[in-house]
Amino acid sequence: MFRAFGWQDLIPLAKGAWLTIQLCAVSGILGIFFGLILGLARTSPSRIARWISTIYIFCIRGIPILVIIFFIFFGIPLLFPGMELDKFAAAVIALTVFAAAYVAEIVRGSIEAIPKGQSEAAEALGLDYWRKLRYVVLPQAMKIMVPPGVGFLIGLVKDSSLVTVTGFIELTQAGNIVTNLTGDPIKTFLVVAAMYFIICYGISRLGRLYERRTGIHINALKLPEPAGL
Amino acid sequence: MIFVNDLHKKFGPNHVLKGVNCHIREQEVVCVIGPSGSGKSTFLRCMNGLESITSGSIVINKHTLNDSKTNINLVRQEVGMVFQHFNLFPHLRVIDNVMLAPLRVSRISKEEAHAKAETLLAKVGLAQKMDAYPGNLSGGQMQRVAIARALAMDPKIMLFDEPTSALDPEIVGEVLTVMKDLASEGMTMVVVTHEMGFAREVADRVIFMDQGLIVEEGSPEQIFASPQHERTQGFLSKVL
Repeated sequence: MFRAFGWQDLIPLAKGAWLTIQLCAVSGILGIFFGLILGLARTSPSRIARWISTIYIFCIRGIPILVIIFFIFFGIPLLFPGMELDKFAAAVIALTVFAAAYVAEIVRGSIEAIPKGQSEAAEALGLDYWRKLRYVVLPQAMKIMVPPGVGFLIGLVKDSSLVTVTGFIELTQAGNIVTNLTGDPIKTFLVVAAMYFIICYGISRLGRLYERRTGIHINALKLPEPAGL
Repeated sequence: MIFVNDLHKKFGPNHVLKGVNCHIREQEVVCVIGPSGSGKSTFLRCMNGLESITSGSIVINKHTLNDSKTNINLVRQEVGMVFQHFNLFPHLRVIDNVMLAPLRVSRISKEEAHAKAETLLAKVGLAQKMDAYPGNLSGGQMQRVAIARALAMDPKIMLFDEPTSALDPEIVGEVLTVMKDLASEGMTMVVVTHEMGFAREVADRVIFMDQGLIVEEGSPEQIFASPQHERTQGFLSKVL
């Protein structure tokens, strides 16, 4: 027997939203961390590093995220018998594996967008590869990464709804449960949609704030690339 | 100071330098002139390892550039470079542009680096722009900051790659003045330039390059007043 959708139903939805935020925060941070490493590897002078990161990125980008989730959730317990993987951990691993590949491409694009003259000036001053990255290339690349990075994080929040297939009770799954109790998918999923929107809008605003605080000087120096010879 | 021996540089099938030989002495100011595509910028860029050498050798202060045992970053600390497009770091204030290498490469103290950068900026007439960002400077000011930045590592040699080619004609003078001061202080300088007036006035020696070779070299009087080679004559008749 259904009961009417009421205020008390907001509590499981809010709990689901909170789990979605936690899930995306953890996998977003891990994804950025590994994505940065992969992105640096992809632009590194070492052929092996480039090779490994390129293969990883192409493989992951060629696989639907749902398949990655299934693979981790059902595959890991089989590959490592006896390993207890809770649903949250499985979801974090799946989203991180997915996010790292995309973040890596954003990182690569931003590094490659920095004019070659910047690297050359740093090298001419005697900065080695890591110092050149640390003090010249990355500070500028970071600012370029922010807009696509924010876009990607928003995508990640929405894609995280796919982990419902594991039974993990994040926002979408909480919506399912509430719908089963109340028989009112319209109200329930309107609330769910509003909660997703608020999370995504919050990320956008944070991104804008960051851009406004740091992005003032970056485009001040627009110069043509040196002609070469 | 700099010995260049049979230097060849190929970009794929494109043979840009075809056996350049040259010796640059301490405190000498050498201007390299020639038509575009003659390889003069590539020649300069080979001298601090920005371009790898295909064959031949460059020896700077006893460091052999294309020797795998040579730490190129150590050589670069002795060789300052100024680029056509300045290549200032836009995310750093002027003073931080100048301080970066002393702070991060030489690892001197912040106070010392700051004092040094201030002195150098005063020297190029930009002490008042210390806290500005490069994007708020004029081209001439940017290039003077770039010179100060290169000087911050106390280089023994300064390389200039068409330092005034990206500047409006009316502000070329302010950059050339700084370079003249530097030359008169006894800095060893190699300048790729289209400023024939500067070459004539400041250079101890002028090198004319064409098609990847040094065609002719000599004192400015020799090169400008009585060029021997017909390609030199042809080039000079077009630019003077």
